[in-house]
Amino acid sequence: MLQTVALETRRGNAHECGALRQRVCIGDIRVDLTCDDPSIDVAVCQTTRQFLVDGGRADATVCTSRGDLRQPVAGIEIFDSGGLWKLYRDASDYVFRLKSPTFGEHAYKEARFTSDFTSGTLTLHADYCTPDEPVFPLEYPLDELLLTNLLARGRGVEVHACGVRDHDGRGYLFLGHSGAGKTTVAKLWEQADGLILSDDRIILRHLDGKIWMYGTPWHGEARLAAAIRTDLAGIFMLGRGASNDLLPMTQAEVVAGLFARSFVPFYDPAALAFTLQVLQRVAASAPCAHLRFVPDSSVVEFVRQNPL
Amino acid sequence: MMDDGKRDAPPKKKPYQKPTLIEVALRPDEAVLGACKSSGVSGPGGSGNCHPAGASCFSQGS
Repeated sequence: MLQTVALETRRGNAHECGALRQRVCIGDIRVDLTCDDPSIDVAVCQTTRQFLVDGGRADATVCTSRGDLRQPVAGIEIFDSGGLWKLYRDASDYVFRLKSPTFGEHAYKEARFTSDFTSGTLTLHADYCTPDEPVFPLEYPLDELLLTNLLARGRGVEVHACGVRDHDGRGYLFLGHSGAGKTTVAKLWEQADGLILSDDRIILRHLDGKIWMYGTPWHGEARLAAAIRTDLAGIFMLGRGASNDLLPMTQAEVVAGLFARSFVPFYDPAALAFTLQVLQRVAASAPCAHLRFVPDSSVVEFVRQNPL
Repeated sequence: MMDDGKRDAPPKKKPYQKPTLIEVALRPDEAVLGACKSSGVSGPGGSGNCHPAGASCFSQGS
């Protein structure tokens, strides 16, 4: 059984600071961006603007400031992404250090979160900041790192997929790794009056007794994103083919396929266990098949005429 | 108790199915959100930190 988690905003704890500058809502998860420093112009990226909201109650708060990140991070390293970030555990806090050779030897950003990720502080290394430029505190990959951790604590899961609300209201989820055809499918459905929730990243949540898929600002090459949600009529694992074909899948194959295309905190066993529960529920909520497809408009009609 | 002579039919056994192992391809480089798909780089110092170094850093994979 999925556990219901009480989502309480942690007002007044040690990580809370600053005036509210922006509030984003992605997958029905609200994150407040706060800042005490009047010289920091807190902004959001273009595709994230449609996810800005005014009302509601925050699920998490991130306070931004400038600082000095020349010192090594306190705590024990628990995960190395092999890329932009490493994760440390300092007492009960999670600390992400982001580093890039473009900027130099020091980290350009540090994000420190409470263990439930509802409250965090973000430090920008002052030497690498450009004055008078707006700052998006949750610039990639921090936006997805925060959301995937919040999701994995009782809320849902983010998957590597294109989500479509078709012209008749039916929701289709097309999962795939890079190169599988998510953007191709998104463009084809867009030309056929489908609404694209994202051509690369979809959030799945179990709410009100059913699975919802949510659009995210994290688009792919087609740059398609929409701040809406829809329910699921079909799940497809994408692959290229010489013709359009549907291949059946067992429940175990569906769950495994979903997991292989999910973004989860691999460093947190409880989060992984919860994610598997969600994916099991997703697999049971809608029919699923491998979709081998020809990259032209015929696949749209094929799916519409062959409901799972 | 009297035995009325009726007995429940024994439950049918499910036919044995040999366990099978299914390999699922993983893409750890994509799954951990460690790098940008484009050549752009995340971080401060660019056009408003939204598109650092003049190139967008949208999520990896499409």
